Amino acid sequence: MRAAVLVGLAALALSGCASQNVSIRSLPPETPAADNAAAIKNAAALAAVATAASHGATAEDSEHAVIPLTTADAPSMYSYDPWERVNRLTYRFNARFDEAVFLPVTYGYGHLPAPIRSGVHNFFDNLDEVKTIVNYAVQLQPAAGAHSLGRFLINTTIGIGGLFDVATKLNLESEPTGLSTTLSRWGMHPGPYLVIPFLGPATLRDGVGLLGDFGVAYGVNLAHLYRGEKTWIFGVVDAVDQRSNTSFRYYSTGSPFEYETVRFLYVHRELIEDDALHAKDHPKERDVGAPAGR
Amino acid sequence: MKCPIALALTTLLSAAAVASGAQLDGAPWGTGPATGLADSAALRATVFGTPPQDMAPLPAKVPLEEIDIVLPWARTVPDVFWFDRRLHVWFSAQDKPAPLAIVISGVGSDGNTSKLSTLRAALYGAGYHVLTIPSPTFPGFIVSASSTGVAGDLLQDGRDLYAAMQQIVAHLPRRVQITEVDILGYSLGGANAAVVKSIDAAEGKLKIHRAVMINPPVSLFTSVARLDQLFAISIGSGDSGVERLYKRLYTRLANLYRLSDRVPTDDTDLLAAAATVLKTDADFSAAIALTFRIALMNMFFAGDLYAGTGVVIDPKHPPRPGDSLEETARVLRGKPFSEYFAKVFAPYYLAHRPNSTPESLKADNRLDIIGATLRSNPDYYAQTNSDDVILDKPELAWLQSTLGGRIAVYDHGGHLGNLGERRQIADMLDMLSGRWQKSGQ
Repeated sequence: MRAAVLVGLAALALSGCASQNVSIRSLPPETPAADNAAAIKNAAALAAVATAASHGATAEDSEHAVIPLTTADAPSMYSYDPWERVNRLTYRFNARFDEAVFLPVTYGYGHLPAPIRSGVHNFFDNLDEVKTIVNYAVQLQPAAGAHSLGRFLINTTIGIGGLFDVATKLNLESEPTGLSTTLSRWGMHPGPYLVIPFLGPATLRDGVGLLGDFGVAYGVNLAHLYRGEKTWIFGVVDAVDQRSNTSFRYYSTGSPFEYETVRFLYVHRELIEDDALHAKDHPKERDVGAPAGR
Repeated sequence: MKCPIALALTTLLSAAAVASGAQLDGAPWGTGPATGLADSAALRATVFGTPPQDMAPLPAKVPLEEIDIVLPWARTVPDVFWFDRRLHVWFSAQDKPAPLAIVISGVGSDGNTSKLSTLRAALYGAGYHVLTIPSPTFPGFIVSASSTGVAGDLLQDGRDLYAAMQQIVAHLPRRVQITEVDILGYSLGGANAAVVKSIDAAEGKLKIHRAVMINPPVSLFTSVARLDQLFAISIGSGDSGVERLYKRLYTRLANLYRLSDRVPTDDTDLLAAAATVLKTDADFSAAIALTFRIALMNMFFAGDLYAGTGVVIDPKHPPRPGDSLEETARVLRGKPFSEYFAKVFAPYYLAHRPNSTPESLKADNRLDIIGATLRSNPDYYAQTNSDDVILDKPELAWLQSTLGGRIAVYDHGGHLGNLGERRQIADMLDMLSGRWQKSGQ
């Protein structure tokens, strides 16, 4: 079975490769008209959010008032990265793996009919609802948990085992959460920056979260997908699906400072999300003099 | 943590850098408007670009291929640039014989920016094969295609581009049938496009027919000092200014998230949210200045490495892939363009061009090195805005008098803030096909 997976991977990789000095890759076609229509819609939606937010800021209802952050609450511009040398080499490894294996496989995968790919994507998204439900439960967020449980039940039944995302069509949109967010709610800081082999940028908290979430999935072992030989196929297809839905390209910046840039954006985005999670409290306590994340 | 990487790339300084990154591109600022800054509308347009509702009609589907090529003259790639061995360009092919439009990106940018994507869509929709290529100041181009490693010289960059284009065109898929070649570029890429066409006029390898410059600069070096000035005014000198800006943007973005009901999880939402934290002229100016500075950092780093000038890189011990570059980045953030010119560019070119002086190097980087051709050849066109922040009044007047009836000057749009807008696209297509009439304005 493993051999079959490896042969399949190699075939997909070869189908996406070309000669040594010149390679031509077919990318998914661009859809400018639809993208622009979406941009018009997004702009309107965002304006509404911004207006609502500014109303929220002036709300007199002290029960729901959010204390705005000041610049004194902003974390350091520099990220906490005590394992930098290893992280940098892992980043480079990931970039090379991506170029040599992941992207070619993804391009090969992209030739499959769209309904198949979206079915695969929906299927894995639906499985992810399991850890989302468990995490909402642990976060003591029953409403959000029920929402995700509803999605899971609808998509598993009417959506034929999760192949169709019927719930979204019924306005039950996906609101995933995970152990990293749960840990953040409990007050844990992101910790050191961590580049995970194959997966990419994370923090130590994300790494622990990933392991924990996998532990949940493994424990529940839905439809016996997480044990035995088929776990291989399952894991590989999940990875290919995730990669083909991620537009990021290593070193598309061409810049020698890409590692620093990605680290800055990743860590600070996570800190902003932490700040948003703790919106109703006073700013989450943090040592703004220390490198960001610690 | 689904799709962690893509989700990471959308916040904070990317608000500044990304929101304006695809749009700024042109290095120099005009001396013109008042303090050297443009008015509020021009700054806003420069940062946010064309509102989606004002965009020209675009096709539903545009096929796309990425072509990665190792050029025959490629130099040994330094360890720290191991990922830039290949030149990446993007190509959209018609399935019938058609003219080829080659489009050059703006300063420091790659060959697939959102601006290029807009131009690609418009050109493809009008029946062109479209090839989009990076700026010669983009680090990926400097490493894979430059013959010097020291970017920013209009003529040398033009030669490098021209050589690379010949290789790329020769390696286009065999099914592609090209009826003629036209060239365009936005911002610095506009000036590059015109220079490439003038080189081709002598060499004839590509037989480029028409060139359209979109918001080109006139003088690269004499006015770029004003961008440094803008940085000093809006951000302050040194790293503490950047840190203050960062804290301001972080706080605003975090508050926006805290006050909204849900945290946007979609990349597009995030980007849009990030862009909304830029509110004042000072913010816009800072975003523009910082975007240029980030592009300059890459150019500076590469130039210093290749020229061995030792400003931030010890030529005997260049950095290796595992080494931290945080400190180098911090130092370079504080360095203006004038320092790149004085410590990297000028020493390199003075050594390689007998009889040149710093003054002659600056003069060689004005668009008027091809002024006579621009004046007499009917196949060069330009589009710009009267409030383009990279042009001062004498420079705009020079463009108008040089190109005569072949330049469209719009009232508003700042720098590239109307790229993709209906009128801009319609005029651009008319120019490319030789139908454009000034009276049509």
